[in-house]
Amino acid sequence: MDSQHLNPSSLKSRFTATFLRALIKINAQKPISSSSPREIFQRYRRIKVAADKSMAYSVRSRRTWSRATLWKLRSRSRSRLASSGRRSSVKTRTTTTTTTTTTATNHRAAIVEKTSHEKENKEDHVGLAVQAEELRELVPGGESMDLCNLLDETAHYIKCLTTQVQVMKKIANLYSLE
Amino acid sequence: MQPCSREMQAMNSLLSPTQPIPLQDLQPNGNSGTHQAQIHNPQFDPTSSHDDFLDQMLSTLPSCSWSDLKSPWDPPKSDETPPSNPDNNAGFHYDEILASKLRQHQINGGGGGTTAAMKMMMQQQMLLPGRPIAAAGGGGLTMPLHNDIVDGSSFKSPNQQGGEGSVQALYNGFGAGPLHGTNNQSPNQPQHFHHPQGGNMQTQSFGATAGTVMNQSQASGSTTGGTPAQPKQRVRARRGQATDPHSIAERLRRERIAERMKALQELVPNANKTDKASMLDEIIDYVKFLQLQVKVLSMSRLGGAAAVAPLVADMPPEGGDCVQTTAGGGGSLQRNSNGNQPSANNDSLTVTEHQVAKLMEEDMGSAMQYLQGKGLCLMPISLATAISTATCHSRNPMMNKGSSSNHPLLQSNGDGPSSPSMSVLTVQSATMGNGGLDGSAKDAASVSKP
Repeated sequence: MDSQHLNPSSLKSRFTATFLRALIKINAQKPISSSSPREIFQRYRRIKVAADKSMAYSVRSRRTWSRATLWKLRSRSRSRLASSGRRSSVKTRTTTTTTTTTTATNHRAAIVEKTSHEKENKEDHVGLAVQAEELRELVPGGESMDLCNLLDETAHYIKCLTTQVQVMKKIANLYSLE
Repeated sequence: MQPCSREMQAMNSLLSPTQPIPLQDLQPNGNSGTHQAQIHNPQFDPTSSHDDFLDQMLSTLPSCSWSDLKSPWDPPKSDETPPSNPDNNAGFHYDEILASKLRQHQINGGGGGTTAAMKMMMQQQMLLPGRPIAAAGGGGLTMPLHNDIVDGSSFKSPNQQGGEGSVQALYNGFGAGPLHGTNNQSPNQPQHFHHPQGGNMQTQSFGATAGTVMNQSQASGSTTGGTPAQPKQRVRARRGQATDPHSIAERLRRERIAERMKALQELVPNANKTDKASMLDEIIDYVKFLQLQVKVLSMSRLGGAAAVAPLVADMPPEGGDCVQTTAGGGGSLQRNSNGNQPSANNDSLTVTEHQVAKLMEEDMGSAMQYLQGKGLCLMPISLATAISTATCHSRNPMMNKGSSSNHPLLQSNGDGPSSPSMSVLTVQSATMGNGGLDGSAKDAASVSKP
């Protein structure tokens, strides 16, 4: 496994590099021993976002789900910057995030409505409409894909998620060892 | 016939005894079982995206056991029922995939007959169990050969007949010869059927006449579409030759979906389900589980020592003392593999805890299942708190609950009304040492008071 990890161009190493960089940056921003639950939650959120983001970056735009994730993150940060400015309070940030999420959801809902009709026609034929919908919600960017591509994306997404979990586990171990 | 030659080569290599090894390499995800350690493909290339036929064939090869493909040849019936034998399906997939690939290479325009013929040709050549029946027989087979790949029921017939019986048939020809001829005409079929001998010769002749046959098939295909004839014949025609572009597209689509499902099956653990719906359920649960793991891991990495693991354990209430501890020493994921316990200390995180609890609520069953599959386990919170109280502060945050007084067994029932199904939280067993609990309860009481 080590030899594989050393492969500089593998998904795993790309993700690890990006994620570690982001993690260092986050740790530098705030002191680790923040006590307020709100702050801790914020930090958790930032880390999670960093993890997803770095994973999406590692995949670039080769996949629909990575493109969707990157787009989501970028639009969120853009709106955040636009509305609340950089140094906003925690509360504002949270609300902005929620609003952005809602707008994104609305947008996505529109797309879903538009394409769901034809999709349902096709999928009822195969009889898997319900699960397909659920899968679409899970996989980022899955709303506008037919079942065939959706399964494709799901497979790649699963692969990347497992990589992510693996790397994060190892990092967590390192942390806990200290 | 470029694609044919390529496929022939592929088949040649297929039939070599060294199949298992290259097969592994050609799996789309690199490795079937050991994906954890070996996910190193920078690009995930499902076979379907390849134009490479070889990948398809090799990947589907192990799943089909040709010997099982034997079954009595059913006279052309319009049974669209899915076959009982899963192996048939596998074989069918294999054939279908080949067929679809071949089709893609071919002229699609109206050449329904052609494609069907080619497909059938391939099928019968693939299904090679030692059947004396010649390819011609397989040609006659064309009838039942319907293009519905996923169902695969029709494949029963091809299996029988297609049983070329001779490997040489494969080598010789992708001669779709017999197929075409029989497509439209029932009288021809019995003749072909009774053709059992001389398989080689016939295959060779098929190869020779492949070109001509193709033309024939095209013509026959068109005629078949127009032939009303008896209901039997119409059925046959419909199944054997989907000249309707819509059904062809449908078929293609279903093939692709089946391929993808197979690829997914290898990625997801506990993927021994044959039913598509349950397979999808597994996939969905697995994706949820992975996402939850990412969330949990990102939570646990918030710092060096004082990491947070606000997990919840789904423990049945003990003797009515159903205790809820928010974010408490959470049933942390005990990582058996590493032998490390991610975190013992717990700070109160109402918000995160609710989030995680919600997630776990939905997925608890499947989450536990996957955890076990991976060699992990959910530790009861009582145990975790035991450890944490031993070390230091186990802040059992009764935060917003406000209601709890100094009950020796920490009750935080404030959660009840808000999330009724959150009986999922910790169980503080009475044996846990009331002393510690009392201390924490007092703590909690002080904290919760506004």
